[in-house]
Order: sequence, then structure tokens, then C-alpha cells
Amino acid sequence: MNLLRTEALKKHFGETRAVDGVNFTVNEGEFLSLVGTNGAGKTTLVNLISAFLAPDSGRIFIGDRDITHASVEERIRAGIARSFQLVNLFDDLSVLDNVALAIFAREGKTKRILALAERDAAVTREASDLLGEFGLDGKSEGRAGGLAQGERKLLDVAVAYALRPRLLFLDEPTSGVSTRDKAQIMDTVSAVVRGGGITAVVIEHDMDVVFKYSDRVVVMHEGRFLADGPPGEIRQNSDVAKYLLGTDV
Amino acid sequence: MEIVALQVLNSLFYAAVLFLIAAGLSLIFGVMGIVNMAHGSFYALGAYVTAWSVGAAAATLPPAALFIFLLLGAIAVALVGLMIEPTLIRPFYRRQEEYQLLVTFGLLLVLEDVIRLLWGGTPLTASGLVDSLGLVRIGGLPYPVYNLLMIGVGAVAALALWAFVYRTKFGVLLRATAQDRRMAAALGIDVGRIYALAFGLGCFMAGLGGAIVVPSQAAVLGMGVEVLVIAFVVVVIGGLGSLEGALVGALIVSALRTITIQFWEEFELAALYLIAAIVLLIRPTGLFGRRA
Repeated sequence: MNLLRTEALKKHFGETRAVDGVNFTVNEGEFLSLVGTNGAGKTTLVNLISAFLAPDSGRIFIGDRDITHASVEERIRAGIARSFQLVNLFDDLSVLDNVALAIFAREGKTKRILALAERDAAVTREASDLLGEFGLDGKSEGRAGGLAQGERKLLDVAVAYALRPRLLFLDEPTSGVSTRDKAQIMDTVSAVVRGGGITAVVIEHDMDVVFKYSDRVVVMHEGRFLADGPPGEIRQNSDVAKYLLGTDV
Repeated sequence: MEIVALQVLNSLFYAAVLFLIAAGLSLIFGVMGIVNMAHGSFYALGAYVTAWSVGAAAATLPPAALFIFLLLGAIAVALVGLMIEPTLIRPFYRRQEEYQLLVTFGLLLVLEDVIRLLWGGTPLTASGLVDSLGLVRIGGLPYPVYNLLMIGVGAVAALALWAFVYRTKFGVLLRATAQDRRMAAALGIDVGRIYALAFGLGCFMAGLGGAIVVPSQAAVLGMGVEVLVIAFVVVVIGGLGSLEGALVGALIVSALRTITIQFWEEFELAALYLIAAIVLLIRPTGLFGRRA
């Protein structure tokens, strides 16, 4: 069953066709990788779906609900969450408070003024448990700004995960970290996401990571979809080899 | 020796008042990025409202009950702040800093005139509160119990503010908004409401400073501008935007002021500016300020 669907989604920046009439579907429960060269339109597509950009035309549905014009907040409530390519954590807050903030946002507790002036024990407990799942429990009281790069990536995913989304977008969760950290991050993310029954769309450049962890791979090129299928099929696709891997099959 | 003890207590009393004002100034800057030139006028407003209400109620209420007006004076100032932020300050967030400075400086002038209009030029006092608590002997020398009590109030206010900012859910939202307004809004935080509350809280602190000082000193025209200058020296030394900096800065400035008044009165303000200049030269962000 389709959890997310776009119809002829389009976003141009001047002459650049960043997303050019894309029909994108994400099925419930799958771990999907969105790949392509720099400028292929992956991040623009995710920005459109998560309301950080408005499309020129086309529509976006979550289930049967049209969310094309919904705000970021409304999309969070509809079950969409994302981590950021350039990790956007609150560095001055503790690791725990970064996660707690996402839980407040999910519960709508950022709105209720009278409920603000106290420490919420249930939120603190949930945030601690979640940090444990991501292997960050030993760091919870430290400043987020003091974390190592790999830990920041994990916290970034943990913050998005704390929104308890139905659909989680992970924007290059392993960029800028060592090969050893990559495996650790992806093992952790994959285990938590699959364990939580969450549908995930990962933007990733490292094809070893893509082929190892994905159920399905969608390849973008110049704003359009070049290929869509299981990892084994994508690995054999001659267009993908030509445009993405720079080799012939 | 007794003289030294009294001077230390005087210094702590003055530090308590300065901390309340500077912490409010720092809080507003830290969260909203606004240097509030009218902050001293909120302090003056707290002093006037408290002195006026204590004077009006003194005939009907017992002296002990009058202490509630210290809190009510601060709350009144907070309410004024809550009305001013969305109407006068908010339209200037997206403008350059010069506009923010101009609008808050204009607000300073307006508030000074409002005070003159409401209460005239005659100083107001609430010294009955100091008299009602009497004196305590410290090494044989008399000292107002009121001042000791207000040193305690300053300490409690510092602890309460720290706990509020660092140990409550509201504090998490406040600090998140201070760090990244866009991200905070993306998470569904009502940034406008956080700003209004931060401004109200900053005004409450200034108002409380004015309220606790007025029983021992009269409320006079121009007191707001005078204290604003000193508060800026405090935050320059401590670091604008830092609560710890406001506390340490207030302790340094009040100690320095007490020492210079004791030994070389003419040098009082010069010493403060000199220290501020030295801190700016050596550590431009102040002792606790973070580099931009």
C-alpha cells in the first residue's frame, strides 16, 4: 500500500529542472534509498515533500490526504519527519533536551503555556529510552555541540525518530563520517527504524550502503527518475551504471 | 572590621538589584537579539508603581502586608512588557539593529515622560517598609534588616531564574528559540509567544529590581537611564546574553563601586568604565559570553 505518493511534482529554479514532473511512491514499511549524482534533485524532492519548498505544480499525498499545501507542522502531524543534510541540532542544548524538544513538538506541548513551567518526567524518560536505542545514553547530559560527527548524525536521526513519524526522511545520514562509523550508524538506524515499523527514505551517495540496507532503490537524474527497483536489479541497470557509477555493466 | 562587614552587605544588596536588571537585559538579548535601551525605564516603572501603591495602601494595610506590593510592582511591569512586545518591538525583528535600538530608545523617552505625567517630578518613597523591619546590630553597628532580606530575594531570584531557564520545559523551548529561530519554528514552537514571554520575564526582573530598591532609595526621574548605563557595564563585563555573566558582572561592579565610593568617590564611574574597557580589550565577548 502506498504511504506517500506524488503526482507530476515539479520544481524549477530558473533554467534548472530540479524536480521535473516526478511520480514518486513510497510503500508502507519499506526502507527505500533515493540516489543520484549531486544536483539530481533528491534533496529538492525531499524539501518539497517536507514543506521546506513549495512546488511549482503537482500534488503530494500521504495516504489519501492531499498535503500539497500543508505547513511543516501539519506534515509533522501527518507523520512525516526528516533529518537534515547539514546536521541541524540545537548545539547549546543537552543531547537529552534535543530529543525532548522533538517529543514536545510531537505531543503539541510547545503550544500549552501553562504546561511549560515544569519538567515533564514522562518526556524525559522517553527521551532517555530513545537515546539508549541509538547508543547515545551515556551522552545525554552533555551538550549536543560537544558530540563527535558520527554521534551527531545518530542524534539527528534520533530527533527525527522522536517525532514518531510514519515516514522518516534521512538526508545523507552517513556523509562526512569514517567508513567504520558509517556501518555503525546504518546498523543502528536500520535496526531502530525496522524495529519501530517505520517507513524510511534515505538519501545516500555510498552505493555499498545503499545496496546493503535498502529494500528498494530509486535513482534520480536531472530531476527525473532513471530507475526504480530492488538493489539487485539496480546494480545490473546499464543506465544507472553509466550515469551514477560511471562504468558500464 | 564592622565597617568592612557593612560595606560587603551594602555591596551584596546593590549586586542583587543590579543582577535583576542585568539578567533581564541579558535574557531579552539572548533570546530575541534585541538590545533593549528601555530596560532601565522598566526598572524605574517598577520603582514608581511600588512606591505609589505602598503609599496608597499604607493607611489601610498593616506594614507586613505592604511587602506584597514589591511583587505586584514587578508583575505590573511584566504586564506592560507583555503588551509592548507584540505591538512595538515585534515589527522590528526583521529590521536592522539600528531600528531596534531606535525604537527601544524611543520607548525609553516615552516611558520617562509617562512616569513624569503620572507621578510628577516629586520623588516617591516607600521607606515605611525598611522602617517596619527595623535594624539589626552587626558588630555593634546598626544595619537595616530589609537590606538583608533583599539580598536573600536576589539570591532566590538568581536560583529561580537559573532553574527556570535550565531545568524546565519552558527553558528548553526558550534556549532552542534563542539558538535557532527557524528550526524552532519548524518543530512547531510558537516563536512569537516565546519572544513575548521572554520579554515579559525580562521586564519582570527589571521591575522587581526597581521594586526592591525603592524602599531604601526614593524613586526619582532619570533613575532608569542612570541604572541602564551601569547595567550595560555589568553585561559588558559578564557577557551579553549570559545569566552567569550577569551574576558575576553584578558582583564585580557592585564591589568595585563600594570600594571606590569608600576610598575615592570621584573615581566611581571612571573605575567602572575602565574595567569595562579592559574587559572589552582582553575579552570582547565578556567573561561568560560566547564568541559569535
